[in-house]
Amino acid sequence: MEIGLNHYLVLSTILFAIGLIGVMRRKNLLLLFFATEILLNSVNIAFAAISHYYGDLTGQMFAFFVIAIAASEVAVGLGLLIVWHKRHGNIDLDYMSTMKG
Amino acid sequence: MELYLYLALFAPLAGSLFAALFGASPRIKIAGIVPSFLLFVSFLSSTVLLSYILSGGEAVHVEMMTWMATGNLYIPFGFVVDQVSVTMMMVVTLVSTVVHIYSIGYMDHDKGFNRFFSYLSAFVFSMMVLVMSDNFAGLFIGWEGVGLCSWLLIGFWYHKESATWAANEAFIMNRIADLGMLIGIFLVYWNTGTLQYNQAFAAMPNLDKEILTWMGIFLFIGAMGKSAQFPLHTWLADAMEGPTPVSALIHAATMVTAGVYLVVRANPLFDLIPNVGLFIASLGAFVALFAASMALVNRDMKRIIAYSTLSQLGYMFVAAGLGAYWVALFHLMAHAFFKALLFLGAGNVMHAMHDELDPFKMGGLRKAMKWTFIMMTLASVALAGIYPFAGFFSKDLILEVAFVENHYIIYSVLLFTAGLTAFYSFRLVALIFHGEERYKLFGIHPHEAYKFMLIAMSPLLILAVIAGSMKMTYFEMIVNLLPNHEYHIHSHLTFWIMTIGTQLFVIAAIAFAYKKYANSNVKVPDGTSKIENCLYYKVLSNQYYIPYAYEEYLVKPYRELSSVLWRHVDMKVVDATVDGIANIIYTTGEKTRDMQSGNLSTMLKWMVAGTVGLLSLAVVFGLAVRYSGEIKLFLSGLGVQ
Amino acid sequence: MLDHILSILIFFPALAAMFGFIIHKDSIRAYGVVVATIEFALSLWLWFAFDSNVSGMQFMEQLPLVPAFGINYILGVDGVSLFIIILAAFFTMIGIASLTDTKDVKNMIITLLFLQMTMAGVFVALDAIVFYIFWELSLVPMLYIIGAWGGPLRIYASVKFFLYTFAGSLVMLVGMLFMAYFYYQATGAWSFAILDWYRLILPESFQLWLFVAFFIGFAIKVPMFPFHTWLPYAHGQAPTIGSVILAAILLKMGTYAFIRFSLPMFPDASVFFMFPIAILAIIMIIYTAMVAYAQEDVKQVVAYSSVSHMGVIILGTFALNVEGISGSIFLMIAHGVVSGALFLLVGVIYDRRHTKMMNEFGGLASVMPRYATIFGLMMMASVGMPLTINFVGEFLSLLGFYQQSHILTLLAGTAIIVGAIYMLAAYKKMFFGVVTKEENKNLSDVNSRELIALVPLAIITVWLGIYPKPILEPINKSVESIVQLMHDKSTTQEAKSRIPNLIKGVEITRTSSEEAH
Repeated sequence: MEIGLNHYLVLSTILFAIGLIGVMRRKNLLLLFFATEILLNSVNIAFAAISHYYGDLTGQMFAFFVIAIAASEVAVGLGLLIVWHKRHGNIDLDYMSTMKG
Repeated sequence: MELYLYLALFAPLAGSLFAALFGASPRIKIAGIVPSFLLFVSFLSSTVLLSYILSGGEAVHVEMMTWMATGNLYIPFGFVVDQVSVTMMMVVTLVSTVVHIYSIGYMDHDKGFNRFFSYLSAFVFSMMVLVMSDNFAGLFIGWEGVGLCSWLLIGFWYHKESATWAANEAFIMNRIADLGMLIGIFLVYWNTGTLQYNQAFAAMPNLDKEILTWMGIFLFIGAMGKSAQFPLHTWLADAMEGPTPVSALIHAATMVTAGVYLVVRANPLFDLIPNVGLFIASLGAFVALFAASMALVNRDMKRIIAYSTLSQLGYMFVAAGLGAYWVALFHLMAHAFFKALLFLGAGNVMHAMHDELDPFKMGGLRKAMKWTFIMMTLASVALAGIYPFAGFFSKDLILEVAFVENHYIIYSVLLFTAGLTAFYSFRLVALIFHGEERYKLFGIHPHEAYKFMLIAMSPLLILAVIAGSMKMTYFEMIVNLLPNHEYHIHSHLTFWIMTIGTQLFVIAAIAFAYKKYANSNVKVPDGTSKIENCLYYKVLSNQYYIPYAYEEYLVKPYRELSSVLWRHVDMKVVDATVDGIANIIYTTGEKTRDMQSGNLSTMLKWMVAGTVGLLSLAVVFGLAVRYSGEIKLFLSGLGVQ
Repeated sequence: MLDHILSILIFFPALAAMFGFIIHKDSIRAYGVVVATIEFALSLWLWFAFDSNVSGMQFMEQLPLVPAFGINYILGVDGVSLFIIILAAFFTMIGIASLTDTKDVKNMIITLLFLQMTMAGVFVALDAIVFYIFWELSLVPMLYIIGAWGGPLRIYASVKFFLYTFAGSLVMLVGMLFMAYFYYQATGAWSFAILDWYRLILPESFQLWLFVAFFIGFAIKVPMFPFHTWLPYAHGQAPTIGSVILAAILLKMGTYAFIRFSLPMFPDASVFFMFPIAILAIIMIIYTAMVAYAQEDVKQVVAYSSVSHMGVIILGTFALNVEGISGSIFLMIAHGVVSGALFLLVGVIYDRRHTKMMNEFGGLASVMPRYATIFGLMMMASVGMPLTINFVGEFLSLLGFYQQSHILTLLAGTAIIVGAIYMLAAYKKMFFGVVTKEENKNLSDVNSRELIALVPLAIITVWLGIYPKPILEPINKSVESIVQLMHDKSTTQEAKSRIPNLIKGVEITRTSSEEAH
């Protein structure tokens, strides 16, 4: 059996679903970042696969952009996380409700 | 002649304004004398105009200024003095001059003396506008103006609940009729393009019969209100709450005859629609009998005279309805004289009796009040139509009209009513002036009115006696304008039988009234006697329960419905809907603010839900666009466009 | 100066209001009176300079605001708007002059001057966006007046007033945007100028939708049944001056806008909706008159009577002929004068007794005869007594509508009956009878400050009732041009027959050419 586009897309979808569920279910901010990374990378897989399928490099370039953005996001996010942990002693989402409307 | 016209018209207004200057200050004689004098000026001017018209002069027609002009509508303040209006002017100015002078004595002790003359003169001005206007809109000004003054004067003693109630009743009932009048005016305007009498009447013969009929009906509805014809009659009797001179002037001699004047003025219209005319005549005959029957048992002196007025208005409408316009006008004139006299006499009696109105509590007043006795008796004789007094010439003429025009039912109703008229008039005279001096039981010491009041009344007395002899002069003058019908019964024998028969019938009625009420057995009724408990008596003395029915089935439901509309419909439905919509928006916001819990996890869940929702919408719309052809086909199969 | 008189009329009071902040509290009243008097004099000068033989717009001013979208600052005045502007300036003047001692008198006067700006702006604006801006701005000072000086329910009332009318206006704004878009599609250029829109002939289906959009905005403002319930609250809670201006001027914005926008822009839709609107108007007349009769608070009686009279104005407007529309414009003025005066009169007794309940009074005619006289005059004007100002308007409105429908006019004519019922009943309760309450025995009669406001109104009421020509003539001229425009623009057969053609020559030549054949 040859590995085709569909396999990549299915893998991407599964990873996206895992990431989405992680985003919804996790209460720990660190794990939330993990889930976000999974989401982004699932999209990267899809980009790369489709790019290869069409023979168009734009998709792969886009994947690089995404990786860069993800990296910077994690850098900033982790920085904020550490500050939060220092100040409040936890990183539980349920305690972060200062934006209650 | 124009000067006299303006003088006749505006002198009362000047009087009214003069008296109004003293409106808030304490009683001052000059506030009564000046308006009376100005009215006398108005009367003299009217006399000049009358002699001018009598000597064959052209009608005086002036256009003072524009009132309203827009689109094709053009309404000026225009005034005309012709045979019809000069008759009315004479009646109005003469009676009101008399009443003004009389009132100086009558209102002597009243706190609102100055105010009274202001209102009274304003009334005369309105009435003059009404009769002198040369167009329907001007007529309507006067029409409403007299309504306003009538409201002010009926409610003159505003601290009395009954007076203010009666004033409002009169105003509102007149308003109901005025709506008809207004619609009539609209009909005239949209069909003839003008509201000027001469142009509008000239255009009418070319109009559709149906339109003319509606015009006639609506204008007559207006007349019914002012002239208190059934079913809008109840206000007239209640209007007796006003001071007696007011009753004499407004509710006997002038304002209530405005309806008759309108029908006479609109004679070219009513000539074209004899069916409506017949209806007017029939209603008139009915009212004549109906009102006379209520006068039979009433125990309120002024109300008896009021019902008698109503009854006589019925006579006038019979004549006007049957096309005998000049007869109607002639009776209007004669009636104004003797009825005003009767009312003023009643005013004297009221003064003497300290505002007692029940004739059963009087009796034997002829000794104390000789002149009033003579005047009221003669006025009653004139009213009853005894030869050679005024009523004989005018009222019998109406009977002849009905006979000659072959309306025998109307004729017999009127004949019977003539008997009733004689009976109730002399029942009143007998109760007041003859028999035992029952007033002594109530400790009253009656006295005759001031001499100048009696002198003021005397012109009316003279006219009530001699007005009949002016019949032919009047006829020759008025036929220049009104249809020329002389009513002669062809056979001399029939004529004599009818005339003498009527006279005998009337005299018998008078004799019966004297026999029954002039003797010493008359007691103040206390509700125990047999006659008072009989059904007819109760029906009549309760005015056929009509005021009761109006109160119960119109006024109360209106009040209750208003209250329901406010409390339940306006507050609970209309307003609650608005508040409900606002509340829905508010509670939606209140409920959905839980979304903004500030919990990052929850908000992420909502974010995911939103993304899924938007994506699915995108898919649905994408599919819909792709299959739009099929969807249209499917929908058209279901019958949807 | 005459070239910019309309701008001056708008911005003079606004600038004066700004300047008012630095005026000392003790002299603010005099300052306000002076400013308002100058404004009124300016408006009178406008009338004086107005050429009543010209049917179109006069004193036009134009300044581009957003040229890319055709939004311009266009002002102009014709017979329709002229007298409402004068009336607005007049009421601001006498309103400030007769202002009783309230708290924060400074803020009140500044607010009133600001309100005067918005009122002048609404009636002279000839660009839809400028119109809309002033229309919405006028809500703010009124919101403040009710909310700051009102009765116990003032917050509820003012918020309701604001949100209700604001919601309606938004729908109207959508209609305006669509109208501009249609204009763009038809001509290729954007324009919000009303006079440009007049020239646009829309297909009937578009007209219907746009008419409805505009109708909602206007109808809430008028207010028409069933959108009227904000009014009793607003009047009930507002201070006297607020009620006076609200009833006299602000309500007229709705009826004015009908004549300025709906009729000439959508003639076919106006004919299409004529009967439904007439029926609403009749419900307004009768229903609110009955509700007025049931009221216990005299101010509410006057408030509901306003709604009832506005029904007659609407009816006259939708008569779609010169008589009716002229009558309705005249009745706007008349109702402004009379209801303004009635609210002032209610204020007089409220100042003395701090209650508006009618059963608290009774027999006032003997205690306050002058007050009773002026009240009586205004009441008679309100019920449409001939030779008072109201009658002219009411008569012409009903006369006009009679051409369209007999039965509906008969029903609407009951206004003169039901109007008399509630007014006379209220008058009787307040003024007739004997004085029963101890507090009423020593009430003082109207004082000179109150007379300053009331006497001019009484004079106007009678003067314009007897001699309406100076006002009716310019109105007539402008209305004729509107009606002719509507007739020419209308596309449906029905509309052509309902809206009269005023150019007689055309018909005559047609008939003579037919005879020739």
